[in-house]
Amino acid sequence: MKSLICCLVFSVFALGLSVSGQVIRIGVVGPMTFIQGIHHWRGATLAADEINAAGGITVGGTTYTIELVRVDSNEMQPGPDAVSAVERAITASKVDFLVGGFRTEAMLAMTEVAADYKKIFLIAGAADDGLLKGRVDKNYNRYKYLFRITPVRSTYLAQVSFILLRDVVETFRRELGISQPKIAIVAEQAAWANMIVTLVALQAGTPVDKGGFGGQHVGTWRPSALATSVAAELTAVERAGAHIVFTVFSGPVGVVFGRDWGRLQVPVAAVGINVEAQAQGWLDATGGFGAYTATAGIYATGVAVTEATLPFIEKFQAEFGELPLFTAGTYDALYILADAIRRADSLQTDAVISALETTDYVSTLGRIVFDELHDPIWGPDYITGLGVQWQDGAPKAFWPREWQPDPAKLPDLVISTPGTVPYVIPPWVKDHWQGK
Amino acid sequence: MYYGRYLLRYLQNEILVLPSRVIVLVFVASLVAFPLISQDPNLLRMLIVTALFSLYAVSWDLLSGYTGQISLGHALFFGSGAYASALLSSHLGLPPYATIPAGAAVATLAGLLVGIPCLRLRKHYLALATLAFPIMLTGLVLAFPGFSGGEGGIWRIARLTSTRIEEYYLIVGVMLVAVFALWKVAGSRVGLIFHSIREDETAARALGINTVRYKLFAFALSGFTAGVAGALYAHSSAARIVAPGVVLSLFMSFQPVIWTIFGGAATIYGPITGVFILYPLLDTLNVVIPKYRMLVFALLVLFILRFMPHGISTWIRDTIERVCPSCQVRNIATRRACRACGVELRHMQP
Repeated sequence: MKSLICCLVFSVFALGLSVSGQVIRIGVVGPMTFIQGIHHWRGATLAADEINAAGGITVGGTTYTIELVRVDSNEMQPGPDAVSAVERAITASKVDFLVGGFRTEAMLAMTEVAADYKKIFLIAGAADDGLLKGRVDKNYNRYKYLFRITPVRSTYLAQVSFILLRDVVETFRRELGISQPKIAIVAEQAAWANMIVTLVALQAGTPVDKGGFGGQHVGTWRPSALATSVAAELTAVERAGAHIVFTVFSGPVGVVFGRDWGRLQVPVAAVGINVEAQAQGWLDATGGFGAYTATAGIYATGVAVTEATLPFIEKFQAEFGELPLFTAGTYDALYILADAIRRADSLQTDAVISALETTDYVSTLGRIVFDELHDPIWGPDYITGLGVQWQDGAPKAFWPREWQPDPAKLPDLVISTPGTVPYVIPPWVKDHWQGK
Repeated sequence: MYYGRYLLRYLQNEILVLPSRVIVLVFVASLVAFPLISQDPNLLRMLIVTALFSLYAVSWDLLSGYTGQISLGHALFFGSGAYASALLSSHLGLPPYATIPAGAAVATLAGLLVGIPCLRLRKHYLALATLAFPIMLTGLVLAFPGFSGGEGGIWRIARLTSTRIEEYYLIVGVMLVAVFALWKVAGSRVGLIFHSIREDETAARALGINTVRYKLFAFALSGFTAGVAGALYAHSSAARIVAPGVVLSLFMSFQPVIWTIFGGAATIYGPITGVFILYPLLDTLNVVIPKYRMLVFALLVLFILRFMPHGISTWIRDTIERVCPSCQVRNIATRRACRACGVELRHMQP
């Protein structure tokens, strides 16, 4: 009888060990009750399922499977929740790595916790330069654990949105004969937007031959990221006589803007950054008023940035019924991490960091190579992003299309991503300004 | 030996005779002994934030609960303490033992600056006026982003201590000492004057009380206490960053109101009860049901206030103790006769 009990106990123990297996725990950090966090989680689950189905990650002869831990940082609401969530994930859930994050203000604090506990944090959702600049370069030993996957840092994001704005300005000149379009800026109150707003305001009135837009800056409005109406701001924009409104939104105010802009038929073309407009449900969310919104984006219908893009989009759409947001870049983050662990053949943090630093990976976003700040390099052959406009009920890419990155030095270099279409001025805007 | 006997006698005659005092003793002993039971950094962090917010809530109770000067912009004091401390730490590299008193001093000054223009305002007019001050400070912070860190806030702030346990003992120690001091103030003649100002300011003035001076004192003392909490928060491991969206937000202003009303206003221990129940609860709900946490939280607060309108701690105290009608001394509810004057208590309602 005793031996039978011993056998049973041993069997249960052995079974427990085999069931638990060898796992790598990865904390997926994001505001999980908001679309940004939901896509963080979806991107990560898709990658984890694929990696596990393909046999997991083998390190030193041992195979590990990925186990994801949901870390709700509640970043949209300010408070100590984000810090608590990350610390809980590290100390209680025992995560080995962290991916995700969204709000710069929260990310600055959360990455401090990651640095304290020496945990690698692959940022997939926050753009502010200061997350890495001034940290990884100034205090490498403390902040070497931080890498950014997506989006590219604010400076580059600004660069993309400038190119998009220039494209729209040129379309106004070409199609409507407005030589000096008036540009208004509507940007959410958030740290990451500040630099972009300053630069656009500066460049708007600068002549084209001096690198500016050759337009006129008529004002800047900064609603809250959680504002429920921007009708007042849009009325002011209209009264200022603006032709184009440059938007900088990452929060729910993006939907509010799209809804109010289309509903009020404000005669300005909206272009810039609007994270919510990257979502498949954009038109539904804006009550159908969000058509013709143009934004810097990552994914668009039928556009293959790399060979990995379309299979990922198709899988994501099949699984979740919508286009991935840029925060679904956790998908690439997990693959890049898995790749680094395999190359390091170790789970030792320093070894994985060294492997991450030598990453050269073709992701769904483009080719990812990290610079000395642990930021992905931006530009042709690396990551550029897309210019996306809602046309005929779908997000269509209008950039990079006949893009000359450096016309002076490389006049023959013209980049056109297959599947891109021309930018279209919203019909009511065209009707309003035509002949004036 | 003498002091030991005195302490024992004091414990026997003053503490153990009343269950509410026993609860306080057990609570303090548990806080002090907690790291001996668990050193989980998560739990310690939660208790650190809870202790800081307790101090913050008590500061609101002193001003609004005791003196009746309803403040809906209390984040001003918390935020000015946090910002002053964080700015001194990040710009001048001063250590926390220098920046925290400076932060408290700035918050005291803020208390006086708010108090002076608000002296003529009462009730909801005063509440609305106070609401404007943290918004004004937020505007100032956003106007000078190079200096204040703007929307992104300040995050290069010196840490309070090198270990979590040291931090825990420091913050819990400061909280206990400060609360004890405020409890003494509230129980003194000054506390009585605060009560009188709340109940009938005109009558208090008619009795020769300089209500202006005492109201300003309440603003300054409340500002100082909230400033200490804010400054400690800025250096704590729970914050890491001082941003206007965190320390000067409307939510930060409303939280001490909820905690105090839930726990029991004008009691000092009420807000502490409120914070020690509600903050860990909200933190746990964030893990268990993040989507519905605010709904559950709000329903719970409504439920408690429906059945315990004077707050949970007041309800508990009135259930387990009763006041002697003759000498006003509190007794345990099971006593038949008053422990001080011997009047029969048996048929009294609690």
